[in-house]
Amino acid sequence: MSTKQVSRRDFLRVSGLAGTALCLGFYFPSSAKDAEIINTTGITSSEVELNAWIHIDTSGKVTIFNHRAEMGQGSFQSVPQIIAEELEVDLNDVNIVFAQGNREKYGNQVTGGSSTIRSSYKNLLKLSATARVMLITIAAQKWNVNPAECYAASGHVFHKVSGKKFHYGELVEQAAKLSPPKEVILKKTSEYKLIRKPLLRQDTPLKTNGTAVFGLDKKLPGMLYATVERNPRLRGIVKSYDDAATLKVPGVIKVFKVRMGVFKTFREGVAVVANSTWAAMQGKKALKVEWDDSGFEHINTAEIYQRQQDSLQTQEGLFAKKQGDPDAILKQAEKTVDVVYQTPYQSHSCMEPVNCVAHYQGDKVEIWGPIQAPEWVQDYISEQLNLPKEKVIVNMTFLGGGFGRKAFMDYPHEATMISKEMNAPVQVVWTREDDATQGPYRPGISYRCQGAINDGIVTALKFRMAGQNNDHWRSGKTDQANRSTSEGFLKPYYDSIKDISFAEVQFETPIPTMWWRSVYASTNGFAYESFLDEMAIAAGKDPLALRRQYLQEERSQLLIDKMEEVSGWKHRKKNEGFGVAITECFASTVGQIVKVSRAADGKIKIDQVWAVMDCGWYVNPDIIKAQVEGSIVMALGAATIHEITFKDGLVEQSNFYNYKMPRITDIPPIEVYIMENEADAGGVGEPGLPAFAPALTNAIYDLTGKRIRKLPFDLSAV
Amino acid sequence: MINLTINQKPYSIDADPEMPLLWALRDLIGLTGTKYGCGVAQCGACVVHLNGEAVRSCVTKVSRAAGQKIVTIEGLSKNNDHPLQLAWNEISVPQCGYCHSGQLMSAAVLLRENPNPTDQDIDNAMAGNICRCGTYPRIRKAIHLAAELQKKEREAK
Amino acid sequence: MIMSIILTMVGLMAFAWHTGNRKEILSSPVVVPIKKDSIASVKAFEKVYRVLMSPRCMNCHPSGDIPLQGDDSHLHEMFPKRGKDGKGLFAMKCGSCHQPSNTPGKHSPPGNPEWHLPPADMKMVFQGKTAAELAKQLIDPKQNGNKSMKQLLAHSEDGLVRWGWQPGEGRTLPPMSHAEFKKAWETWLNNGAYAPKSKP
Repeated sequence: MSTKQVSRRDFLRVSGLAGTALCLGFYFPSSAKDAEIINTTGITSSEVELNAWIHIDTSGKVTIFNHRAEMGQGSFQSVPQIIAEELEVDLNDVNIVFAQGNREKYGNQVTGGSSTIRSSYKNLLKLSATARVMLITIAAQKWNVNPAECYAASGHVFHKVSGKKFHYGELVEQAAKLSPPKEVILKKTSEYKLIRKPLLRQDTPLKTNGTAVFGLDKKLPGMLYATVERNPRLRGIVKSYDDAATLKVPGVIKVFKVRMGVFKTFREGVAVVANSTWAAMQGKKALKVEWDDSGFEHINTAEIYQRQQDSLQTQEGLFAKKQGDPDAILKQAEKTVDVVYQTPYQSHSCMEPVNCVAHYQGDKVEIWGPIQAPEWVQDYISEQLNLPKEKVIVNMTFLGGGFGRKAFMDYPHEATMISKEMNAPVQVVWTREDDATQGPYRPGISYRCQGAINDGIVTALKFRMAGQNNDHWRSGKTDQANRSTSEGFLKPYYDSIKDISFAEVQFETPIPTMWWRSVYASTNGFAYESFLDEMAIAAGKDPLALRRQYLQEERSQLLIDKMEEVSGWKHRKKNEGFGVAITECFASTVGQIVKVSRAADGKIKIDQVWAVMDCGWYVNPDIIKAQVEGSIVMALGAATIHEITFKDGLVEQSNFYNYKMPRITDIPPIEVYIMENEADAGGVGEPGLPAFAPALTNAIYDLTGKRIRKLPFDLSAV
Repeated sequence: MINLTINQKPYSIDADPEMPLLWALRDLIGLTGTKYGCGVAQCGACVVHLNGEAVRSCVTKVSRAAGQKIVTIEGLSKNNDHPLQLAWNEISVPQCGYCHSGQLMSAAVLLRENPNPTDQDIDNAMAGNICRCGTYPRIRKAIHLAAELQKKEREAK
Repeated sequence: MIMSIILTMVGLMAFAWHTGNRKEILSSPVVVPIKKDSIASVKAFEKVYRVLMSPRCMNCHPSGDIPLQGDDSHLHEMFPKRGKDGKGLFAMKCGSCHQPSNTPGKHSPPGNPEWHLPPADMKMVFQGKTAAELAKQLIDPKQNGNKSMKQLLAHSEDGLVRWGWQPGEGRTLPPMSHAEFKKAWETWLNNGAYAPKSKP
């Protein structure tokens, strides 16, 4: 039987996957890094206890569990595409389901940091190959032949010589009794049939006929709907409320105060529960709430940046990274550049506004929703409600966008508290206005960048940032420099520029902040890559040549070759502006070149974007291209269209009419290229974003001589 | 009671006549393919067809739809085989997929009224639909492909 | 302000223009007897012009094919196009968002059963027009949809025109009441529909 049985109470009973079956999963020892493969086949025949990514029943039906959230980035396709490759099954014949939140079964499930593939592909390949070897072993035993004479394909094991075959279902019962082999041989890249192929996404058909179930689409018998009027100043409490008009709205059932956690802090609001979303929304509009936000800092955007930039002039901050002595070099430099960049607060604005269904049932709670971090939710709710973890069941639906927002636990907690009060299943729906005005946001950050040039050589770089640290919200600890201060900056620069430092001048506000697609690289990248452009100009170098000069390592050189080749960088014409930026994010490097010109009406026009992605080992080239395209569109919006601003503690934007989005009319042609190599897999969902803004502003400088150091900027006003 | 014909099926619902069609579809009838995105006709996630015209169900009162013909994404085709659905699949247009019910319903009106849309026509028809994942380049490509598929389909008939 | 004082040499006689030496006989038959009083007429048009150039009226009489939006008359978000009949194109017809009545809420689409722009063959542009240009355009049957004097007079009571005074939450009203506008409109027309002098 199983080589290691994780305690039974950690398993969920899932009906509908009945019958004797082979189930393979991992055991995640809490300390060790390497996951151990275990046979988790259930003993009972009616209900199978799952601890698996792979489940094969006696009819040969294969179910693959996707342990990560599907929020557009393609885990629903790429995880099964990896498994099917080594398991030797046809992707069209497998059933893909979302796993529930469970750290013991699936390890880290937090969908962030573009980590789904890079953190699990080796384990997934090994797991799938293990299942295949076990099935082949049984087939060989049944035929009484050497397993080497057998092979697996399309869900069957074949005997080469005789042509005999078994489908997997005929083998699972006995295979389930084997101990998984310790070592298996994995395929070479050249042998892949599915991996590295632009296979169509399995979730597309669900998304073209309305059948994909997003969080907002989850319905339960007897489910009620709720909206919440939350303190518009992000912190503070309810002083009093008048629900007379609300209770007159047909369909409104109950109004009460609700408190939800926002990591280490709390937020208060008044919940309106009704029999339809519309009634709950109408009831919320009719509500009158008096807030007590005494002691809350009434922040203003101008003041935020003033404070950041003043501190950058007077404080050294905490060093996140330092090599050599940039200060000494700067003092003696022939030429120095010292400039400040500014990046805005941004909202995630997922198309699916935040929402969550919770069903509190006394001794347990079950949650369904668009959730990026199911086991965080499990941990948090269990802690807040004092329930054992296995009594907090967290189900992931499809996510209508995530981008970091849906890794917060505030909304599942809020839904749970409302369900508890109602003693019924409740769906809490955030209006678009709630979604836009409540945060969390990407922090707005200012950067001071200093550089030294001697004889046309960049000899030192000194970077300081002042902006909120997302980690403070989560950990409450403020004694360390933001470890993401150097994110976005390419590591090979450290070898060629000996004196470099990155420091964080700590900056706090009560504004909740959270990861926003590509996280700190999204703002660092703009500052650092704009600054390298400024250094190139100051040193009298071609901006792309400067990168080639200081990025000596082979992968970077190949990336630059490719960028040069596809963009025709060397052949650019006089009335064209070309800008380059190369950023690193979550173990992948992306180089972008943007071409701009002046249109007939005198306005700047983005003619073309070329993006080259080096993410090492990869699964699906078409998904990578889609992710880079989408990242560029998101970056275009953040660089030129929208920002979150604060006035007297209130967010000034509320919906798409004042937090405007790029539309189909705004999108330049985008070409995406992928570097082919065997390096360790890097991220895909986010790394395409950071290079766009600096490549664009560098291109505008190339065309107009105007340097843009503050985002967002109005493209039509340049 | 309000009588509606949705995807050729009759429904009778007990709804506030002021309730937007969006919430009647989603909460009262259980057709959740039509999405809530902004509530103020800015994003297009809620587009359905009312007597063949694309309307934003978040601002269309259910009373306006009474007795009229409504088609939602669930009724765009019987087998997920409208030329646009086929093209969307072929080009892997959706990422998160949330906005695409509305994108498809908007594109369907374009393709009906203009079987050979230019890029400008696509802009004129689709600029009302926001996609936060940024699938716009693929939407454009897929509409062109769907136009070809539609043409072939008609020639075959 | 300026127009009320400066009287032009433009007189209107039975829907005919005398502009210096140029004389244009307009095709529409005269139905309503015109009382000629150029001073009263031009003075009334000054009021009419202020209303027509207010965002509530001008936003749907743009110089291009995209309507304007808001009190600052910016290009309508998402760039809906006029279309042949003035009712939009494809999935972006006016009626896609604009309902028979205003949708409640500060940023929700305003509505009217007739919501549309002037059609492509009769654009009736207000945006960017001087008072003189606009006055001439309004009564030119070639540009106003062949409206008779009676039809022109009745236009101030048009449902869509009246909407300007019930524009919904968050939209400023035209600079005078509808009654005052109606009176000015009729005074302008009934006194000869004189156009203010063109600025040099």
